[in-house]
Amino acid sequence: MLELLAYDFMQRSLLAAALVGAVCSVIGVFVVLRGLAFAGAGTAHAAFAGVTLAYLVGLPPLSLAIVFGLATVWITGWVEEKGRMKLDVSIGILYTATMALAILFLGLMKSYNPEVYGYLFGSVLSVTSEELLTIVGLSVAVLGTILLLSKELYFIAFDQEMAAASGVPARQIFYLLLTLVALTVVISLKTVGAILVFAMILIPASTAYQLTHSLTQMTLYSMLIGTFCAVSGVLLSYAFDLPSGPSIVLLATSLFFLAVCCSPKRLHRIQAQ
Amino acid sequence: MTHPIIRFDHATFGFPGIIALEDVSLSIPESEFVGVIGPNGSGKTTLCRAVLGLMAPLRGTLRVLDCACQELRCHHRALIGYLPQKGMLDRNFPVTVLEAVMMGRYGALGLFRRPSRKDWDIARGALAQVGMDHHRASALGALSGGQQQRVFIARALAQQPRILLLDEPTTGLDLTAQHSVVELIQQLHRELKLTILMITHDINMIRSRVDRLVLLKTKLFAEGPPQEVLKPEILSQVYGKDLVITDKDFVIVEDYHHH
Ligand SMILES: Nc1ncnc2c1ncn2[C@@H]1O[C@H](COP(=O)(O)OP(=O)(O)OP(=O)(O)O)[C@@H](O)[C@H]1O
Ligand SMILES: [Mg+2]
Repeated sequence: MLELLAYDFMQRSLLAAALVGAVCSVIGVFVVLRGLAFAGAGTAHAAFAGVTLAYLVGLPPLSLAIVFGLATVWITGWVEEKGRMKLDVSIGILYTATMALAILFLGLMKSYNPEVYGYLFGSVLSVTSEELLTIVGLSVAVLGTILLLSKELYFIAFDQEMAAASGVPARQIFYLLLTLVALTVVISLKTVGAILVFAMILIPASTAYQLTHSLTQMTLYSMLIGTFCAVSGVLLSYAFDLPSGPSIVLLATSLFFLAVCCSPKRLHRIQAQ
Repeated sequence: MTHPIIRFDHATFGFPGIIALEDVSLSIPESEFVGVIGPNGSGKTTLCRAVLGLMAPLRGTLRVLDCACQELRCHHRALIGYLPQKGMLDRNFPVTVLEAVMMGRYGALGLFRRPSRKDWDIARGALAQVGMDHHRASALGALSGGQQQRVFIARALAQQPRILLLDEPTTGLDLTAQHSVVELIQQLHRELKLTILMITHDINMIRSRVDRLVLLKTKLFAEGPPQEVLKPEILSQVYGKDLVITDKDFVIVEDYHHH
């Protein structure tokens, strides 16, 4: 197994997977606690529509993915804030509309382009050095921001109005969180793909949620689980010639069910009865 | 009279298409304990949110701590402790009691700064003040309603506020817990000289404890010492004719009086 690490492409994929695993699982904690799960899923599909448009007009794929992703999260946040419409309805509409756009753009392409499908299904083993650089840059930015503002992010996840009432710029922090979600989705597109990226955000955090009563511990556990699943998923996918996205996500899902069965929270409750 | 710490001047507050509080003029001096009463939907919570600067006046002005608190950024926010009307707390939310109390300090700490040793001491002290220090490592969701209410009061105290806004702090608690929470609030008022606005539906419980009562029904219907506000002719205008005052000064619904 160790000789694998001698290959450049393998080093790149493992580093990309580890970073994506860490970023997704950390932002996932705030997404889960703030109840934004569905919003993130919508963002992933919007970002993919951005990728397809970029291929169509000949721009760097991630540039338009960021534009589409940000537009979607900000609209979602604005709708939630105004409370004019139920959030699941507005996201449902955005979600399907952006998917329709993606299919439209794919149809407009003159020829079949396998690279585009890499962004839909994830192909971590084909990550290039430039892509890795983008991933590293954005990961550092996202993780750094979370580290600097973690106490505010926890507070708005717990109770946004209370946070605003005690002098935290809650609204700005909420939009910042949405922005970080969009960036995370974009970072992860190439590795796990638009369809599965949301699993990487949701599952490690939900697994950690089963295991602890403390915010700091939940974040730590989530990050460990996310990184472990991403790296092991890549190794499994290479060893058994499986697609990387599903290997990572199914590994994470198994851990999740294991955690649900052994959850100290749940066991505690059963004992109490 | 001392300089008022909160001053409404013909202030009107509302939501799109709804006036929740109209033309309120009210001055509250520092260290006063004020009870706020009124029927459901009479604008009590709106009054609190206004003081917090979460709603700007549509007309008139509101000054809190000598600052027109209409700006979200107002740094005076951190000086106002708030216990919101009971919402739905997610019992599974992973937060310990001490972590929840520490959140009260985040506004005063400012962005990027981590809680220091001193902040943890303040949070522990606030927990001790509400008699919950021994629960500091428990999961917040594992506590009873009354215990959670104490923790949230501790969170407000951890802000080291000058004003404390309490929105129905005793609703949903059993009789003994209600009593002990009210005693705690009274004690905080005495010891810390806080200015307190306490919203409640329990007129009988609050009447003997506050310096002043404010009776709302979209407008400021009456305000003054409890005995001046709790008069049959005033109460019947706000709550309807069924409310009566017994010879022992209890406010009750008439039916019970007769049976
Ligand atoms: N978020 C909101 N959007 C629109 N209208 C609102 C909102 N919150 C309150 N209102 C309206 O403002 C008015 C005053 O509400 P408020 O919550 O201040 O009443 P309250 O006295 O606290 O009532 P309760 O005793 O039930 O807590 C009500 O008519 C209510 O319908
Ligand atoms: Mg209310």
